[in-house]
Amino acid sequence: MRRGSTALALGGLAAALAFPLLATRVTWQNTAILMLMTAQLGVAWNILGGYAGQVSLGHAAFFGAGAYVSTILSMKLGISPWLGMGAGAVCAAGLGVLVGTPCFRLKGHYFAMATIAVGEIVQAVVNGSDALGGAVGFTLPLGETGFWGFVFNRSKLPYYYIALGLLLLTVGVNWLVNRSHVGYYLRAIKDEPDAARSLGVSLTRYKMIAMMLSAGLTAMGGTLYAQKELFIDPNSMLSTSLSIKIALVAILGGAGTLWGPVLGAVVFTGIEELTRVAFGGTGRGTDLVVHGALLVLIAVYQPSGVMGLFTRRTPPAVPPPEPEAEFP
Amino acid sequence: MTSPLRTLALLAALLLSVRASAQEEIRIGVIYPLTGAAASTGIELKNAAQLAADLINGTDKSLGLPLAGAGGLPGLKGAKIKLIFVDHQGNPQVGASEAERLITEHKVAAIQGAYFSTVTTTASQVAERNGVPFLNADSSSPALTQRGFKWFFRTTPHDELFVQNAFEFLRDLKAKKGIQVKRIAIFAENTEFGTGAAKLQERYAKENGYEVVEKVLYPPKGTQLTSEVQKLKASRPDIVMQSSYLGDAILSMKTYKDLGFLPTALLANNAGFNDSEFLKTMGKDGNYVISREVWALDLGVKKPVIAKANALLQARHGVNFNGNSARAFTGVFALADAINRAGSTKPEAIQKALQETNIPGADLIMPWGGIQYDATGQNTKGAGIIVQVQDGKYATVWPFDLASKDVIWPMPAWDKR
Repeated sequence: MRRGSTALALGGLAAALAFPLLATRVTWQNTAILMLMTAQLGVAWNILGGYAGQVSLGHAAFFGAGAYVSTILSMKLGISPWLGMGAGAVCAAGLGVLVGTPCFRLKGHYFAMATIAVGEIVQAVVNGSDALGGAVGFTLPLGETGFWGFVFNRSKLPYYYIALGLLLLTVGVNWLVNRSHVGYYLRAIKDEPDAARSLGVSLTRYKMIAMMLSAGLTAMGGTLYAQKELFIDPNSMLSTSLSIKIALVAILGGAGTLWGPVLGAVVFTGIEELTRVAFGGTGRGTDLVVHGALLVLIAVYQPSGVMGLFTRRTPPAVPPPEPEAEFP
Repeated sequence: MTSPLRTLALLAALLLSVRASAQEEIRIGVIYPLTGAAASTGIELKNAAQLAADLINGTDKSLGLPLAGAGGLPGLKGAKIKLIFVDHQGNPQVGASEAERLITEHKVAAIQGAYFSTVTTTASQVAERNGVPFLNADSSSPALTQRGFKWFFRTTPHDELFVQNAFEFLRDLKAKKGIQVKRIAIFAENTEFGTGAAKLQERYAKENGYEVVEKVLYPPKGTQLTSEVQKLKASRPDIVMQSSYLGDAILSMKTYKDLGFLPTALLANNAGFNDSEFLKTMGKDGNYVISREVWALDLGVKKPVIAKANALLQARHGVNFNGNSARAFTGVFALADAINRAGSTKPEAIQKALQETNIPGADLIMPWGGIQYDATGQNTKGAGIIVQVQDGKYATVWPFDLASKDVIWPMPAWDKR
């Protein structure tokens, strides 16, 4: 089992590394980048929403924090967006603590609702702040800058490999958390919070760790978005619909599993892009209907997420006892 | 897993088949919000753009615009224009992806779009990176032409020009009708739209020697404006320049009436005052409001080509042109004009032709002096118009040579309507 999944992971990595070299069409590369970026957000969300079971519908606030911090640092002070990415992650983790301190007192749906409110508040604040670009946002300067400037025009490959690297980093953090005592505590908090507390697990402390990691990694994705699209505004960076998309990708793929959100992102983005390419120009919304219908199908037939397809197919180590009727 | 894979492969094949291309057509990518909150506007824009392309490709010369009825572009041996529509869903990232797809997969000669200023920002960045001309017919954010782009051309006036127009209107009133305005109060909702407009109005008022006696910003979702209106009233302005959305526009008008506040004129900044619900709700109390517009149907009285074009759109889709669709229609003609003169679909040739564009106002269905771009790609001959509600309808009152009605100034008292 272990060896099998390691081989699968390595094979997947090799395929991911080779993909843009084989698929040289820009639109395919772009779709792949969008998949990687979405996957990274889903995996980052998963630390808090999947392992710790704290469903956040306000993650756009962290995504936006990363984008805004790196953008403002680079535009106003000329600091490389790479450093801005780190600064954004730290700020988002701090914001996560601010959000978590009151919100972690709430359970289940109430926590989710509180995070929606937080997301909306952040959007309203940025909308009204001239220093943060207001509703107009920021347009980043166009033009090839080399590695430190983090703007690449000539080829999609840098963005692809940066997105892939960021995804691997996020998956790596996820994996480490999963294996460490923090991961066990988080799962305990998710399944039996009262039992966990009675055993001396500090709920707030470990939820807070999950929040900080999740927020920080989400912010790094925000910086990548800003440097790729070179335009950020509250509506595209901080909207609740983005928060929902981040959560949806992870839940669709399989929340609480290592690769589920990645798979979810590939399926979600794939469906989104292909249906839009096929039907988007008609103006009849056919793509959204198809997209929505496929999501409903997955939700109905695969409620544990797309990941469930694979875990079920994997042959169990000990074959279950065969029903007697088959062997008359 | 095989069957989903097969479905994906099928969809991918579908994607490829779209690429089929013929030599004698000129492909232009058109990016509009065809789904989402602005879908109905997007469909109007799409229909207007398609009508323009069909007129150029067809042989009916009755409209009387150059290229209309040319049976394709004469400069390219009668090559037909093919518009490839894509949907940006109001999402800047989708807009960028779609622009890239138009350029790399469909090999479009140029792109037109995208109505939303935010999407125009990202989509035109992709065009700039790839060296493909991007024509924007309908986004009004001034920042778009302040980016130093070489491949970006905007036919429509932007927000600053609209404010400028209001002051030209005041100047013309003084010069031609002897109406003197001195004291201006500015009243605006406090989000981006209102604060931005208020800032520009204040600057232009001072530059033009007017006295700004009061400037009140209010939250647009409030339920009462009594204290704000009292402030306005106390400042005894000659005119109020107002930027409001629908709900607050109606609320403010009702409050004016209740408190008996009557400036000589109310100069509104489009938006709520030009929403079709505004007059329905206000009835005769909505009369005499003056507002800026980009286009009006009654322009057809002085400019017959507008009425003719409108009849064509009516025949096909059963709707009238409006400011948005008229600009989308004009955008296609402006692009076709440049490509025709370029005599080529090479991006550099089209870029050069766009830079040399000089379309006279008579050849447009817009109330403009023409189309001619400055170094930033902004059309310098664009202009807005000013309409006044008279007998429950928006009538063009400025520029005076296009006006269908005389401006009624000052506003009659609330109880004498």
